[in-house]
Amino acid sequence: MKRLDSMNPIAVSALYLCAALIPLVKTDPVLACLFASGALLNLLLYCGQKGGHGFSLLLFFGIALLNPLVSHKGVTVLFVMNHNPITLEALLYGVFTGGIVLASLYWFRTYSHLMTSDKLLYLFGALSPKLSLVLSMALRYVPLFGQQIKKVQQAQTACGLYREDNLPDRFRGGMRIFSVMITWALENGITTADSMTARGYGLQKRSRFSLFKWTAGDIVLLCASLLLCVCSLLLLQNHTFTFYPVLHMTSPNPLVTLGYICYTLLILLPAIIHVKEVLRWRCLTSGM
Amino acid sequence: MIIIRNARTRCVLQKAVPLLIIPLVVLLGAVLLRGQHYLLISFAVALLSLLLFIAGFEKKQTGARRLVIAAVMTALCIAGRFIPLFKPITALTVITAIYLGGETGFLVGALSALLSNFSFGQGPWTPFQMLAWGLIGLLAGALSKPLEKSKWLLCIFGVLCGIAYSFIMDIWTVLWYSSGLDATLYLSAIVTALPHTILYAVSNFLFLYLFAKPFGEKMTRIKLKYGV
Repeated sequence: MKRLDSMNPIAVSALYLCAALIPLVKTDPVLACLFASGALLNLLLYCGQKGGHGFSLLLFFGIALLNPLVSHKGVTVLFVMNHNPITLEALLYGVFTGGIVLASLYWFRTYSHLMTSDKLLYLFGALSPKLSLVLSMALRYVPLFGQQIKKVQQAQTACGLYREDNLPDRFRGGMRIFSVMITWALENGITTADSMTARGYGLQKRSRFSLFKWTAGDIVLLCASLLLCVCSLLLLQNHTFTFYPVLHMTSPNPLVTLGYICYTLLILLPAIIHVKEVLRWRCLTSGM
Repeated sequence: MIIIRNARTRCVLQKAVPLLIIPLVVLLGAVLLRGQHYLLISFAVALLSLLLFIAGFEKKQTGARRLVIAAVMTALCIAGRFIPLFKPITALTVITAIYLGGETGFLVGALSALLSNFSFGQGPWTPFQMLAWGLIGLLAGALSKPLEKSKWLLCIFGVLCGIAYSFIMDIWTVLWYSSGLDATLYLSAIVTALPHTILYAVSNFLFLYLFAKPFGEKMTRIKLKYGV
């Protein structure tokens, strides 16, 4: 098996969606805890410690505290504020949903990190080759426009048209550059399109070049994630947890425990693959 | 890929699916399934409608020129999303839709949401953003005649689009952190998002007011000169 970032994007997407789906469908704090710890572990393994946590934590506290303020369901009243009871159940539900939101943010941050634009093009190419053509052109145009803006700016400065002394002049200069850029971009696009037509675009059905092949490892990953997802959903089918009016959970039985184990395996799959690869690399280097 | 052969059926479906069938499914889902699967339903609906659009687009003969101009406008939208506070995506989508038709508008709106989310964070909200911006494009395309004539109408349309976009995304936010569509929670989400809504509306107004004329001239020129 290869590393997760060189595996087939369809298999990787299936894994990430399956693992995020279950805690969204089942209201269960145990699943939420598993999801959150798995997401955090993944984030540490794949993205390191970089990136801010400010926004995510703010969102978490915002949701956790907002819920008891707007929802007054539940029987355990903690205190009364403006004639509205603040209940323990609503507070816990707020913390629970906040936790899920925070965990999904972290989980999908790792996914964004893994899904580079070439993988996205592959995913969309599987759907529609034409769409993936537009996507790849748009992606290419962004840096191209950046370079062209610089060129136009230099030319304008050389002509003495672009000054930065005062604000209105600067604004007018900026608008002129912008206008030049739009005209250039559109004309350039037409040239590109004509060149495409001249080379036979649209004569035949579009085929596509694919960087990713289905290897045995990819198929194993896809099957494993789908199987684990279905298994844990089926095993946890009759298990319910309710927040309102009182916290209540159906008594756990072996089937439910098995369901939790399935989900733990699913959420840990990226970490397992990562650790396996690190160990393998250690073995290889120590053998040399 | 799903292929709809009859051009007329495709045309009808392309208008009916985003404008009629999908809101209907969402409403029915909200009324009939009093469970906790709203998020799933809405996610599925968003994905399906995008898929349907892609299917129609794949089959349809789109000229290379139109395709490339869609890519150019998408790139401008992505670059524009890096401007702090004021985002010109809606304005550019609307302008594209007016001059190149609703379908291209949908494409530009949806793709700019998808691609710019590489820098702003990809997640389960991406299909909703894609759909919201895509629908704005489609609507602008349908109203292209009156919008092209009157600049003030265009600006008002932009303001309304900003508000509508914010409201659509608020539905998603509420669905995300509560299992059902709770009215009080939705209202509080709208109130908390009010600064954003105002910012969207103001930036749409500003960019449409500034861009409508120069962009319109350039687009008309390109259309006239090259026959896009």
